[in-house]
This record gives sequence, structure tokens and C-alpha cells, in this order.
Amino acid sequence: MAKKLLSGNEAVAYGALAAGVKIVAGYPGTPSTEMIETLLTMDLPGTDVEWSANEKVAFEVAAGGALLGYPTMCAMKMTGVNVAYDSLISIAYSGCTGALVVYVVDDPGVSAGMAEQDSRGFGLISDMPVFEPATLQEAYDMTKLAFKVAKEIGGPVFLRSVTSLSQSHGPVEIEPRVLPETGHPLLEHNMAKYTKAGAKICMDQHQALLDRLEKAKAPIAAAGINTLSLKKAGGLGVIALGVASLYRREAFAALEKAGIDLSEVSVLDLKETLPYADTELKAILKNCSNILVLEELEPYVENRAILLAYQMGAKAKILGKNDGTFRRIGCYNADLIERGIIKLLGTAMPAFLEKPAIEPEKYAAARPITVCAGCPHRGTYISIAQAIRKLHRKKEEVVVTGDIGCTILGTTPPFEILWTEVAMGASVSLAQGFVYAGTKNPVIATIGDSTFFHAGMPGLVNALQHASNLTLIIMDNGWTSMTGMQVNPGTMQEAQHSPQHVWHQIDIESVVRGLGVADFKVVDPYDLAGMTDAIADSMQYSGTSVVLARRECAIQAGRRKIRYGTVRVVEDKCKACKLCIHQTGCPAIDFTDGKISIDATQCNGCGICTQICKFGALVKA
Amino acid sequence: MAQTLDIYIVGVGGQGVLTIADILTKAAFQKDMPVNYYPTKGMAQRGGFVKVQLRIGSAEVGPDIPEGGADLVIAMEQSEALKGVRYLKKGGEFLLYTNRWNPAAVMLGKAPYPEADTVVREIGQAGGRAIVLDPKEKPDFQGRPIRDNIFVLGSLFGRTKLSQVFPQEEIRGLLETRWPKAAKVNAFAFEAGRTAVVKEI
Repeated sequence: MAKKLLSGNEAVAYGALAAGVKIVAGYPGTPSTEMIETLLTMDLPGTDVEWSANEKVAFEVAAGGALLGYPTMCAMKMTGVNVAYDSLISIAYSGCTGALVVYVVDDPGVSAGMAEQDSRGFGLISDMPVFEPATLQEAYDMTKLAFKVAKEIGGPVFLRSVTSLSQSHGPVEIEPRVLPETGHPLLEHNMAKYTKAGAKICMDQHQALLDRLEKAKAPIAAAGINTLSLKKAGGLGVIALGVASLYRREAFAALEKAGIDLSEVSVLDLKETLPYADTELKAILKNCSNILVLEELEPYVENRAILLAYQMGAKAKILGKNDGTFRRIGCYNADLIERGIIKLLGTAMPAFLEKPAIEPEKYAAARPITVCAGCPHRGTYISIAQAIRKLHRKKEEVVVTGDIGCTILGTTPPFEILWTEVAMGASVSLAQGFVYAGTKNPVIATIGDSTFFHAGMPGLVNALQHASNLTLIIMDNGWTSMTGMQVNPGTMQEAQHSPQHVWHQIDIESVVRGLGVADFKVVDPYDLAGMTDAIADSMQYSGTSVVLARRECAIQAGRRKIRYGTVRVVEDKCKACKLCIHQTGCPAIDFTDGKISIDATQCNGCGICTQICKFGALVKA
Repeated sequence: MAQTLDIYIVGVGGQGVLTIADILTKAAFQKDMPVNYYPTKGMAQRGGFVKVQLRIGSAEVGPDIPEGGADLVIAMEQSEALKGVRYLKKGGEFLLYTNRWNPAAVMLGKAPYPEADTVVREIGQAGGRAIVLDPKEKPDFQGRPIRDNIFVLGSLFGRTKLSQVFPQEEIRGLLETRWPKAAKVNAFAFEAGRTAVVKEI
């Protein structure tokens, strides 16, 4: 055992190594990214680790290894499960001989700007165990447990975390890596298990799936992750799940410090949603008159408790989401739970919970996020606006769909050029729908390189097949940037490797040419005039046109010391009109005491501002 | 009972907010104290709002500090400071570094920017004690600017209860281990911060 400072994501990575994991695949997504990123920095002979093209691919890669009997894992953010789920539910029904762990991180409170979904719901649909560690140590320990249970039941399990745990860092006791086994025999030819050939096979698999979830109860009970402490009969009770169990402890300590006696309150701390901990739930329902349920997002455990209470004829009153004590929105903290406990107790609010009625945030300056200095996307956004003007149209008349990743920053000032943000790859097909629906003006779709490979290609194929009159702009900066610069299929060859393997770059330009796009232009987004002409020209083309805006991410290029010179202000020409700031919003341009200046530490010499200035006051140096 | 300290840090990406938290986390880890360091980086590489919640000395607490729960709030940027006020405990310390990072709308004269007095007033209304450090107090080292975050870190050890939890030598040691090549300039920046003049309100 060694103690290390780890994040929740890293703890899961080390847990998987201690479980002898053979394959780890995933797609980057805040808040889950660092799990695979950690493994990709390590030399791990015998274990294959990769960023896959998308989450469905990642799941299938991991599942293949599990079908051969090896421990494998795939990783994704919550919305990634939506992508992986088609294959995931099928494998859940089939089962697998190896331990297959699906690591998913939900984002209650939304720090990563996507749907605030509760992925435990997927566990309900496919009857899979769902583990929910609360502490960093549990993130490590329960990763190992997830592998153990998956192996014992012969089917995939969810290891579900939340942002606040996965992004936290603290001390964790870890053990050495266990080397993966080798030499398993080939997959057995078993139609009844590995195909869906016929109703009988499918329904037999459904029964086997239900049996597996039931079978998971014994090893989970043996691990003792759920803890029940029954106190006074007929008294009060609290049920807390995952991270909420930590806030429960914190709240108990704070209330007791304020002189509120909680020693008679029964407590059930749960570290898994499925299989439902019916034995413990029934025990606390039988023992208590009123019960408070603490669970972020959806009331799955609470609803189970209500159902069990009904079946048992228990009279316990259950406080949680259904009665409006808590909301289904946002993340929890101790303060929120303290208020819930006060309601459960029916006592007066202690003084420490009375907060001053202040609203300091309303005086803060709005700070919309924008693209970095030197970001090539800046050139694309400005050029789209210029192309629209060139065709004598107004910004309000031309729909430009956005996608996922850094490219979505075109929604924020000063650009405000994108209209929609839906899902990976949705920009293209959504645009096609706008065309069918009769949008009179040209329709533009925008997408990043990684997103194009992830789910944008089917949309482009579909638009081309149906001769949809739209323009797709692929903003190819060579990296999966928003999540912290991961390698994707289009990333430069020199970055295409793990410590063990050499990978291959797939060239987007060749892909698009291969699809037979008749109107296809490759342009540099640092060249505003060239970009504007290309976009305006394509907007007038009848059919599906593609503009490939190619320039490496400024952050990544900067890390390799690539700069394109710098920009200086010609002071006697500058009229302080601030058009440069107004149009580019570049963080390297400052305006203080009536003067424009360039921050040389941020400026990479992209030169976009020099093309905006009407007085020749910004020049490349 | 072991000493516990909940610290809420706010600032803007690129100011080294995470580094301050990282150093304090390592200091706690070194002393075998329970610690949970929870950064929220947002989406921007640079220039976006960043916050860190640091809980030292408490083994069984969640990652989020409740409103009115932080013993110490550290603000690296004057306007973003306002987003930390709500989390300050009554009687807690608020180190306000009055550094300005103007958003574009402010530079264009289209949006207001809060004065330091406004922030100090709000800290007072939250029942806290403001310790105001002006970036003008930050000296150069051999003609070159020093890092804001190390300067602020030094000030924390000169002016707040952090020095009761960790001896400043431990922090100096961690800085040196982390950036051996910048040992001299960082030692200078730390000491300059530790002894810098502040306004306590």
C-alpha cells in the first residue's frame, strides 16, 4: 500500500490497474477525461489504452475483450452513455465472461455545459449494477469491487461518479498494478448468448439479465459498502446515496455542534443504486416513522423506498423530491441537507443556518468565455459574419448550427453567430432539417474535427446522399481541445501514439474528398478574406458544400513553440476606435487609459486583428 | 481536535489560481492531514472564471463548501471576488487582490466594472474581514515582473490564519521543489507578498 495524492478520475484509473485491466477505451468528456489521460501517460505492457472515435466504439472495443474473458473498462461523460447505449444494452442482455466496467461521470450542477442527466436511469433500463463511490478512497476501492462483481455475475456494470468526486483531489491508498492475464481461448461459438437470433433467444437473455442483477446482491452485501445504523424504533431516519452521504455526515456534525441531538436518528448510507438495497431499505422503513432521502438528481432510491413502503404497508412518511423538500436540479451541499434534516425534525431553524441576505454577484462584471488568443476559430466566426454581409444578408436571416467542443464558443460575444448546440454531430443533420423545412436563406453547419469523426460523418453522408442544400464548415484545429488536448483520428502523425503503440492519422481532407463532395474548399481561417470568399461562394452553391478551415489549435502549436510573429500597435495611426476588440474579442488586446496595446505573452501573431483594423494601426512584426 | 480550514479561491484562468491550491494541498498531504481539493475550471483555457474549494483537516466532508462556510476566501481578481463573498463564514478572512482583468465589454465601455470599495462593502455585509492587497505593491525581481500567485501566497502567510496551519518554511520548500530553476525569484515573490502592505478593513 502506498498513499498518493490523486483525483477521483486517477483513483479509478489506479483501481482498474489493481484489478488487472486488459483494455481501457473511452472518448474525452469533462468531467471524466483524466481517467484515461492518466493511463495514457504510463507505460503499461499488457494493457491497451486508447481514445476511441466515439463512446459507442469505445464500449465495443472494451466489450470485445470482456467477451474473451478479460477485465476491461470504458469511460465517458454522461452524454457519452447516450451514444454507447445501443451496443451497451445488447451486451448487457448477452452478458460476458470477463469483467466489463462502464465508468460514467454525471455532472449535477452542470460545470461542463451539457444536459444534467442522471445516467443511473440507464442502469434501470438495462438492469445493471450501478456503483456510486462517495470518497476518493471509495473511487479506488469500488473500482476494484466493480470488476469483482462484474466477473462474478458475468455481465457489465456501471461505475458511476459525479463531477465533485471525479474532479476532487486528495490522499488515496493504492496497491501495485496487477498484470493482466494472457492466453485466453477464442470466443466460444454460442448463438444463444452472442446473437439476438430469434424471440426465444432474446427473451432467454432477458431472463438471464434479471438473474444477473439478482446475483449481484450477494457480493455487494459481502463487500459491506452500504451501512445501516438503526436507532430508536418509531423514530426518524435518513437515507443518503453516494456523495450525498458525505454531506449527510457533514450536516450531522454541524447540527450537533449547534446543539441539535441526532443520536436517535437511524441512518442508511448507500454506495450503489442497483441492485436496490431492498433488505436495508425495508429495515429502515420498518423502524422509522419519517425518513429523509438524500440523492442528487433523480429520485430513484426514493421511489424504490416509496414502493417498498407501500408493499410492506409501512406508514413511514418519506421526504425527498416527491414532496418537494429537494429539487431534482443541481448538486447538493451540507447546507441544503441541514435544512432538510431540520424539516425532518420539525424543529426551529438554528441561527447558524440563517444567512445574510446579500447578493454580491450582481455587482460582478459579466465574463463570457471566449476563444483563446490566436484561436483559428476566431477567423472562422468572423468570416461567416462577413460572408453573410457579402451576400447582402443579415445575421438574423442565416441559420448557423453549432456542434460540441471549442467550436461552440461562437455562441458567445463578440461573435454570437451560432444558433444551436444539441449533441455530437447534430449540426449537420439539424441543418438538413432546416432546409427541408423551407428555410429560405442558405443554411450553414459548423463542426470541429474530433466531433466530425465522432458523429458528424453520418450526417454529412446523409446530406450528400439527399443533395441537401447546405454548407458544412469543418473547423479542423487538429486536437480535441475543449477537454484538454486529446488526440483524435485527425491529429498529426507525430502525436499518434501511446507509450506502447503507434497509431495512424486519418486525413479529414481525404475523407471529405473520398465522399465525393463536389464543392469542397480547404482554407486557412487566419486568412479572413480567403475564408470569407470561400464561405460566400459555397453558400451560393446548390447542393452540399464543405469548407475545411484548417489551422492548428493555438495552445497546442504554442506548446511546440510555434508562433507566427507578433503584432504591434502603430501608435500614431491608432484612432482608439476599439474595432479590433469589438470584432475579435481577442484576450491579447487591451484597452486601458485610452490606448490599445497587445499583450505579447498571449499574442501568437495570428494576425486576425491586423485584417480588422481599418487604419493600418495593427501590424505584424 | 485537529485544526480544520475551509478555503474558497476565486479568480480568472491564467492567474495561477490552481497552483496556489495545489501547493496548499501538497502541504497538507505532506503533513498527513486530510485534504480535499476541488477545482472548477470551466471551459476556457484562459480568461474564464475559475474557482477552487479546498477543505483541509476534515476527513468526512463533501467537496462543496456551503455558503457561509469558508474560513478563508482568496480572490485573485477584483470582480470575480464578488462570486466568493457568499461563501465566507461570519468572522472569516477575505484576501482581496485588487487585480483587474477587464472583460471585453468593460474595455469597450459597454459594461460596468465593480470598484474595490464595492467588494469590501459586500465582504463587510457578509460579516467578514477584508484584507486588501494592491498589485501595485508587487515589486519586480531584477527588472522582471514576479508571479501574482506566489506574491498572493506569500501575503496569505503574512496576513491570514494560514500561517497557523502550515509553517511558511514548508510552503517555501514546496515552491523550491516544484520550480527549482525559479527558486530565487519565487522566494523573493513569496517574501515580498508576506511582508507587503495590506489594508485591513
